[in-house]
Amino acid sequence: MRKRDFPALLLYVLGFLLLWEWLRPIEQLTNTDNIEIFIIFLLLSFTLSYFKLKWIWQFAAKSIYILLFIQRLYYEGSFFQFSWLKSFITDLVHNVGWMFARDWNALSYEFRSFLFFILLWIMGYLIDYWLLRQQQIFLFFFMTLVYITVLDTFTDYDAKMAVVRTVIAGFAAIGMLSYYRIIFREKVNSSPAFLKKWMAPLAGMIAFSVLLGVVSPKAAPVWPDPVPYLKAVKEGESKSSGKRVSRIGFGANDDRLGGPFIGDNNTVFKAMATGKIYWKVETKDLYTGKGWVSSGLTPISFKEGDLVPVYSIPNGVERSLETAKIIPADTHHPLIVYPAGIVRIQGIKPNLPESTMFPIDTTTEKIESFRASEYSIEYGIPRYKVEDLRKTTGFQRSEMGQEFYQKYTKLPENLPSRIKQLTEEITAGEKNWFDQAKAVERYFGQSEYSYDQKNVALPGENDDYVDQFLFETKRGYCDNFSTSMAVMLRTIGIPTRWVKGFTGGDFLEYSKEADNKTVYNITNNHAHSWVEVFLPNQGWVPFEPTKGFVNDIRIDYGTNESSSNRQYAPPAPALKKPKKETSDDTKQTKKAEEKKVDLDMLWLKTKLFFKTNWTWMVLSMAGLIAFIAILYRIRGRWFPYILLLRYRFKQQDETIATAYLILLGQLDRYGLKRKENQTLRNYAQYIDSFFSTKEMTRLTNQYEQYLYHQRLPKGSWQGNRKLWENLIKKTIA
Amino acid sequence: MVKEQINQTIDKILANIEKVMIGKRDVAELSLVALLAEGHVLLEDVPGVGKTMMVRALAKSVNANFRRIQFTPDLLPSDVTGVSIYNPKEMDFEFRPGPLMGNIILADEINRTSPKTQSALLEGMEEASVTIDGVTHKLQKPFFVMATQNPIEYEGTYPLPEAQLDRFLLKMKMGYPEHHEEIEVLDRAQRVPPIEELNPVIDLEGLRILQNQIKDVFVDDTMKRYIVDIVNQTRVHGSVYLGASPRGSIALMKAAQGYAFMYDRDYVLPDDIQYLAPFVLSHRLILKSQAKFEGITAEEVVDQIIARVPVPVQRLVK
Repeated sequence: MRKRDFPALLLYVLGFLLLWEWLRPIEQLTNTDNIEIFIIFLLLSFTLSYFKLKWIWQFAAKSIYILLFIQRLYYEGSFFQFSWLKSFITDLVHNVGWMFARDWNALSYEFRSFLFFILLWIMGYLIDYWLLRQQQIFLFFFMTLVYITVLDTFTDYDAKMAVVRTVIAGFAAIGMLSYYRIIFREKVNSSPAFLKKWMAPLAGMIAFSVLLGVVSPKAAPVWPDPVPYLKAVKEGESKSSGKRVSRIGFGANDDRLGGPFIGDNNTVFKAMATGKIYWKVETKDLYTGKGWVSSGLTPISFKEGDLVPVYSIPNGVERSLETAKIIPADTHHPLIVYPAGIVRIQGIKPNLPESTMFPIDTTTEKIESFRASEYSIEYGIPRYKVEDLRKTTGFQRSEMGQEFYQKYTKLPENLPSRIKQLTEEITAGEKNWFDQAKAVERYFGQSEYSYDQKNVALPGENDDYVDQFLFETKRGYCDNFSTSMAVMLRTIGIPTRWVKGFTGGDFLEYSKEADNKTVYNITNNHAHSWVEVFLPNQGWVPFEPTKGFVNDIRIDYGTNESSSNRQYAPPAPALKKPKKETSDDTKQTKKAEEKKVDLDMLWLKTKLFFKTNWTWMVLSMAGLIAFIAILYRIRGRWFPYILLLRYRFKQQDETIATAYLILLGQLDRYGLKRKENQTLRNYAQYIDSFFSTKEMTRLTNQYEQYLYHQRLPKGSWQGNRKLWENLIKKTIA
Repeated sequence: MVKEQINQTIDKILANIEKVMIGKRDVAELSLVALLAEGHVLLEDVPGVGKTMMVRALAKSVNANFRRIQFTPDLLPSDVTGVSIYNPKEMDFEFRPGPLMGNIILADEINRTSPKTQSALLEGMEEASVTIDGVTHKLQKPFFVMATQNPIEYEGTYPLPEAQLDRFLLKMKMGYPEHHEEIEVLDRAQRVPPIEELNPVIDLEGLRILQNQIKDVFVDDTMKRYIVDIVNQTRVHGSVYLGASPRGSIALMKAAQGYAFMYDRDYVLPDDIQYLAPFVLSHRLILKSQAKFEGITAEEVVDQIIARVPVPVQRLVK
């Protein structure tokens, strides 16, 4: 079959990489140790088949390898004592017996390893067969992708990079194989130049598709991650009820709220703080009638230690600074939780290089973390003064932008009008926004409304989520209460937004690190949502409409001091360089670690760069494509000139070979198509009668001599070039 | 077709033929191609359209020995090849050559005679020799057979088997003359037939030299590939039961060489092949009976194939 050349080696490497992807998750997901032995075994078998050793040698080498490592792993003493062999063989015999008895649990580890070796052996042979004999790898490539994605979805295995690796290796293998298949089918002799012509676009295509796949924004999954659910099922905690049972916890998709919940008390993070506080994750601003979405994305980024560009407490409000430490339970958790009034994030572990940028979306106030295992947040606890809060009685352009106001008071057009009526009833008599909001908040305290996670309706096609809760069901959990309050206030023109996050959690222990701090355990059951109302000069003030929940906010009622009356200024945190904290001696020890982190950081940086610039990149890409498309469309006007220039200084008579074919291409583009079965002479006559010349026939005569007689008069190109140039000029549109 | 400069000698021969034949230049040309390529021609047409006249004019032009065999059901092989007769004077058997011992032979209504006699003729055509009473007699060179068969009358005929049709280089139809041409035919018929006054253009030796020159006409690999592509297509065509054999490929190449030579070219063009393919290939195909019922003819099949096979317009990648 194929020779032992470089492309064959490349194919073997690609096949090996694909097979390796099958082995990678095994170590993580099963209790298999020493996986490298199996990988080396794979490597060995690929090498052997690449060098086309006689089957007997291959067999011997692999068998010895298998025996050697089984002995190494499971038996004592020297390999050459052979006494172990006897016990291994008796073990084999026993295991075969158990296997036929289908007593799988009885199988010994050495037998399992042995079987695994055999499986790999077969797989190695299959890959070899697919790659070099069948020359078709798509099926295997596809199976690999399915395998990886299934593992990614249903287990802890994180296949983000595995998918990228598989796609690169798989595309490369498929591309190369199709090249060889075409070569074989068409019986063309492949020249190295030809190979290059194929491989260069292939590499480009792979790079482009991988880049595009990595960079392009991906929609969040519409289903919740099944892994915790599967774990819960495994632990026997699943209780199902209702048609659409959601799992409690933090999900990114809120465009369809409603339906019952089941509990999930897996820890999300632990927080060390001075008191129970609400933890924000993100906010949403657009109510759709069924749920909340974000009206747009405004991604920017900031560095560790910088002021976090989140607008919550204006400078006019008195506040005391605090820090809290967060320890996520799962470092894969992609989002940072933070209290209202966040100032900066610091102390991230593992250490990030100084210039690491955190992506943040200033509309949703969602901050992405880089798999931090620990971080601290400096935040301010506001101390609102009630007279300041009560100052606002209506919208004033001097206090907030028109656009801003409209964005946070926007409602769906078909919102039932009785919501507004109800709100006006509730707030009748209250003059200012704060008291109106308080009145609505109090309204939910009535006994008509009850907190319930199970018997919660899912709004139908024509129902409004808020309307259904307020007037029909009157039962629900935080989403019902918070959404209702936010929407109700909007109906009377008060800007609100909907906040998602976690409540303060359960007390775990007193902190050993700091005296006044307490460690809280926050689980998925603590996922929560509440409302923030925008009051000019006071910022986003949180409210808690949900029955049975308390958000501890300090509001000073009695005194008559007023805080400063500064105008609203949008927060523009100055980007300060964080101080270098690493001392010299720790530097030495961490050097090795840093190197690894450096690579990770490089990757993160590029990812961030693409993330922040992708709109720009997509636009410029589209522009480039459009430009190329236009160039292509009008190629008749400029391309012939390039051709003329290119052939002006050619001397050899053989130039006619390429020149004539190019002329055919140009004539074809011009619209004078040559039918496949039309002879050149016939076509030339047609062209000549079209342009009323004789040039094409004369040129064709020369080309016929070249093509069908392998003969060209010496120095003929001089004359032919004139004919050719005249003809090319005629094709200029 | 592009009108090209024609070879001078050939042009004279054609002019000679045209003195007696009105119109039908293409038939004359094709006959000459077959003569030059050392092949034989099967003319399929009704009697009275001037087949004999044309062959005789051709024979006269090359100063060849012209024989005519009228095939009848009772004709014996020895009537064609010749017979050994006992000569009482010499006390020995003496070979009396039959009409096959000529240079240019008109085998009229070949499908009227028994297969035995047919095969005697066809064997001679193929082997260029006949064996009588154990003695092999070489046929004269050049040796050119123009056979005719009447496609209308099937009563009492022995249709030639396909294997034997294969031995003809070209098969063609003569067709009726045009209206004005036929009037001229009548004009000439009133005068003395001019056939007797024709002067030879070349002699047999000259003809043999021409035949040898044809072998030097260059056939490029692209053209060989084109020929094989076309012939291959006849083997896979949906209406064809049996396609052309490699002998068909050889015939197409030889004919193309002859045709190129006729137009004073020393290399073969795809145009030559396209023009000749129907004449060379159509009698070598056996159509499926269904195709025959649908009224598809072998010529149509060849035309379809020519329309399908792409003409090579660049050198092969080596």
